[in-house]
Amino acid sequence: MRPLVFHRILGILIPVLFFFSCTSDLDFNQVNDLKLEPVFVSNLAHFDVPANQFVTNGVEQVVTVDTPTIDIFNDAFFKDNLVRADFFFEINNTINRAYTLDLVYLDKNNQALYSTNFAIPAYTGVENLVTKTDVFANAKLDLLKRTTKIAFILKMLPGPILSESSTGSLKLRSGVTAYLVVE
Amino acid sequence: MKKIILLFVLFVSVECISQNKQILYNFTSVPQSLMTNPGSDVKYKWYFGIPLLSGISANVGSSGFSAYDLFANDGVDFNVKLRNVVFSTTRKDKATINEQIELFNGGFKVGDWQSNSYISFGMYQEFDFLSYMPKDLAILALDGNRDYLGKVFNLGDLNVKAEMLSVLHIGYHKNIKNNLIVGLRGKIYSSAFNATSTKNSGYIYTIPSTNGIYEQVISSNLELNTSGISKYIDEDYSGDVVRDIKQKVFFGGDLGLGFDAGLTYYPKKNIQFTASLVDVGFIRHTKDVETFTFKGYYKYDGINPKFTNGNAAGNVYQEFKDAIPLDTLYTKYTTWRPAKFNSSIQYSFDDSRSKDCNCDGTDSGYRNAVGAQLFIMSTPRTPFMAFTTYYRRNIFNNLQMKATYTLDSYSYKNIGLGLSAQLGKLNLYVLADNLLEYHDLAKANSLSFQFGLNVIFKDSDEPY
Repeated sequence: MRPLVFHRILGILIPVLFFFSCTSDLDFNQVNDLKLEPVFVSNLAHFDVPANQFVTNGVEQVVTVDTPTIDIFNDAFFKDNLVRADFFFEINNTINRAYTLDLVYLDKNNQALYSTNFAIPAYTGVENLVTKTDVFANAKLDLLKRTTKIAFILKMLPGPILSESSTGSLKLRSGVTAYLVVE
Repeated sequence: MKKIILLFVLFVSVECISQNKQILYNFTSVPQSLMTNPGSDVKYKWYFGIPLLSGISANVGSSGFSAYDLFANDGVDFNVKLRNVVFSTTRKDKATINEQIELFNGGFKVGDWQSNSYISFGMYQEFDFLSYMPKDLAILALDGNRDYLGKVFNLGDLNVKAEMLSVLHIGYHKNIKNNLIVGLRGKIYSSAFNATSTKNSGYIYTIPSTNGIYEQVISSNLELNTSGISKYIDEDYSGDVVRDIKQKVFFGGDLGLGFDAGLTYYPKKNIQFTASLVDVGFIRHTKDVETFTFKGYYKYDGINPKFTNGNAAGNVYQEFKDAIPLDTLYTKYTTWRPAKFNSSIQYSFDDSRSKDCNCDGTDSGYRNAVGAQLFIMSTPRTPFMAFTTYYRRNIFNNLQMKATYTLDSYSYKNIGLGLSAQLGKLNLYVLADNLLEYHDLAKANSLSFQFGLNVIFKDSDEPY
């Protein structure tokens, strides 16, 4: 008799546990819908050139150039996932001379892909910030993704002669806002 | 990169627990309770588990979110659900999986009928996974840093380990006094693969600055130790992962040593105290080891054109890669097994035996018992703790039941039930917890399930 009762109890309990257990409809394939859209901000470039750097042995250097390597947008990860990049520039000139700044984006063969230009007025005693936001998207973004260097070409326009003791500086700050889509 | 992100999402979404076996612990009609306390009051002449079926257990647990939160087929965009999960959890939330299958298991009584010494032995295969919620890294991946200027992202949030191993063990327990049983079990571990990244630290922050646009610092001290997996992550690998790992589980892997110790003590006939320490041991990883480190400090100011002839500004991306290099080392390392501490106190009542023969000094003659248990397990951060109260009843001579109520960080309403039945020589047991969650398993934060079949020849305590 006992085994019978016992069988019955087990025979009821175990199925009951499983009959009453159920689970909501789950769909693990949803992982394939994963789409990350982070937005990162970072520095791009900065310089602070004192007025006396434009004078060498009493002679003005009218054109100065630097061509740093910027190949991060070439990186496979950015090539695949970067959908937009905003470059923000802010220039603060406290030298009483006007300048132009050209940024020339070069590919690995030093061929110019894109350029942008800033007109910087001379300092007249009040702060005069030159700002610009350059948005790279679509075809323009593809140019950025081929860029490996940016040439910074700084030209000093005619004006009062600078000496080794001239004051002021030409200061640039710039940052990038990168919009990524990873799926 | 996409693969890494997918893997990461899978890791945090896997739902699973600690290794608290609160129903099995001290449930002495099941010989497997010896695996939670080698000093359990288990008596037999000899027993063996039905190979591969004697002990199958799986625990899954996740504090903070459930499978339903992430994978419900409810038409809501997966990315919305992922955001909700990430932002509703904290870095203390964790997901764990533990799975054990006994390959073989047995035991016998040593000596004659007057002896009170028992040997038990066996081998089981175990898989362990534990991950804390890598909250700050998840926020970076979801949102980036633009909206979090000033926030310090903690790289120490990354804390994960996974291991597959087999354990060969032999244990001995003995009534050293009428009311005191002590036991010891030695273990040899063989780890088929291991991945451990539990000692990470570092930070990333971005704050507005006057020199550049931002002040941006990354200080990274990340390390991932692996053994036994380099072959599988190699792109040229074309073998059968499952077969390869199966082979290594059987002592082709890294070896380690450990022990369990425990006791059962009856201060009075109907009062029982037990305590055990399980898996105090280590594994030395020497074969096929690879350690990946990402360590260094870098303050990123952006490129700095100098406009001094002949001194072109450096390549900052290269500078960054040099400052915080991704290194691969091949040094041996040691991991510690998660040590577990169990203890219980039990009061038995309703003695079914005749008054004049209560000579064995154990609780087996009582129909009812109530008790409380404490479980503590070491984890990479603060120890995991669970508190259980239980009621045990011998329904018939051959059917025992144990009902438990457990409080832990996964749940405050965990009700479990275990049944152990003796059908002739065959012992069948089924243990399951979180019964209240069975109405919808997908929404459960933790579940554990154990069952098995043994053949037990009872200890007669008589000469013939």
